[in-house]
Amino acid sequence: MEKKQQQELIAKYNERLADPAEIRLIEQLIESGEVDLTELRELSGLDEQIQKIESPVPSIQLDDQFYAALAKEKRALKTKTSLTIPDWNFLFPRLAMAVVLLLIGFSAGFFIQSPSENKEVSQLTEEVSELKELMMLTMLEKESATQRLKAVSLTSEMEQVSEKVTNALFTTLNNDENVNVRLAALEALKSYSKDSAVRTKLIASIAAQDSPLVQVAMAELMVAIQEKKSVEALKQLLQSEKTPKEVKTKISESIKVLI
Amino acid sequence: MEALSDNVLMMKVKEGDLDKMSLLFERYKRPLFGFFYGLCKRQELSEDLVQNTFLRILKYRHLFRGEPAGRTGGGDFRAWMFHIARNVNNDHHRKNKIKATEELENWQERIGHNDNRATEMQQMEEHQLLSMAMERLPDDKREVLLLSKFQEKKYSEIGEVLGCTEGAVKVKVFRALQELKVIYKQLEKSH
Repeated sequence: MEKKQQQELIAKYNERLADPAEIRLIEQLIESGEVDLTELRELSGLDEQIQKIESPVPSIQLDDQFYAALAKEKRALKTKTSLTIPDWNFLFPRLAMAVVLLLIGFSAGFFIQSPSENKEVSQLTEEVSELKELMMLTMLEKESATQRLKAVSLTSEMEQVSEKVTNALFTTLNNDENVNVRLAALEALKSYSKDSAVRTKLIASIAAQDSPLVQVAMAELMVAIQEKKSVEALKQLLQSEKTPKEVKTKISESIKVLI
Repeated sequence: MEALSDNVLMMKVKEGDLDKMSLLFERYKRPLFGFFYGLCKRQELSEDLVQNTFLRILKYRHLFRGEPAGRTGGGDFRAWMFHIARNVNNDHHRKNKIKATEELENWQERIGHNDNRATEMQQMEEHQLLSMAMERLPDDKREVLLLSKFQEKKYSEIGEVLGCTEGAVKVKVFRALQELKVIYKQLEKSH
């Protein structure tokens, strides 16, 4: 559309003479930017009036509410910053590294150290028990009954004992002058009574006992370990004149149980 | 320049300098209030909606993108703010289904203060009629005129808010003004 035609159209519109078709034409011209809204006198005046209408002013309450909300948001931001957990991208490689190092540590400990350590430990244990045995044997020869009792009680700490130890215990059981030491030796030998050699020697030592306390203890032990081979030795005690009456009663009861 | 510094301020807010928000609040609380007041004519509600708009700006500050490519002279923050303001308004009306109601008392109060001077009286009457005519406009037409007023006739910026071209905004303004003129004339006759 020519400029002149446009001007005529606008003039017609401003005189309120434009028909709907012409108004649509004006709309097209406005959309394409060929006609400016300010050229439409009446509408432009109305628009200016709208600009001049004063709105009421917001109250001070709005300010109060806004600044309170802003302060709250600032506090929240501060707490968030101070409590922030490092993000996953930051944390992941470090966590992974820590886990890997931990695993390496564990496996290294397991594969490298354990065999030699086990060997060393068993060696040490062996040495300690040898020392204990030596100490026990030495102590059994002491004059003091208390020391000898201690020596006997040392065997309870030993898991396995050598023949040397059981022999020493039998020597004590058969020859020690102190009844308590002999009883302790008998008690210690009870732990090794599963060994047939020990059992045989136990039966043999029945006849060697002259103390009624040890005799009764021996008879009880025989019942406890159900050693039938001991009946003969016990019968000999019954027949002996040296054996006290009370002991004989106890022994005969034991023989009845064993038979 | 002012609009450019709007963007700079908002970028600082985005980076965590929340104190800059108060400068933007002081700059835009009145235009925003005017926009909401023009839509609903209720003082308290308009204040609430202004407050909600600024809260949303704070909440979604990380989404602010600053100056878009190909634009000069800024205006981006204002467009973004009015975009949020429209959503706040729509959400409110969707929730409450309240139609803007006419509060004549406000007008009567305001006229009461200025009735000693004939010209002011006449101007007030004109403004009163125009405001009444505005209220009778359909919501979308009233909104486009208010956006035009408070975004200072920056039609391309309004286009950003409404999601249409500058030309389309001008046509919307033209149609709104046309209808407003008709309503205004009717009110004038009945007075």
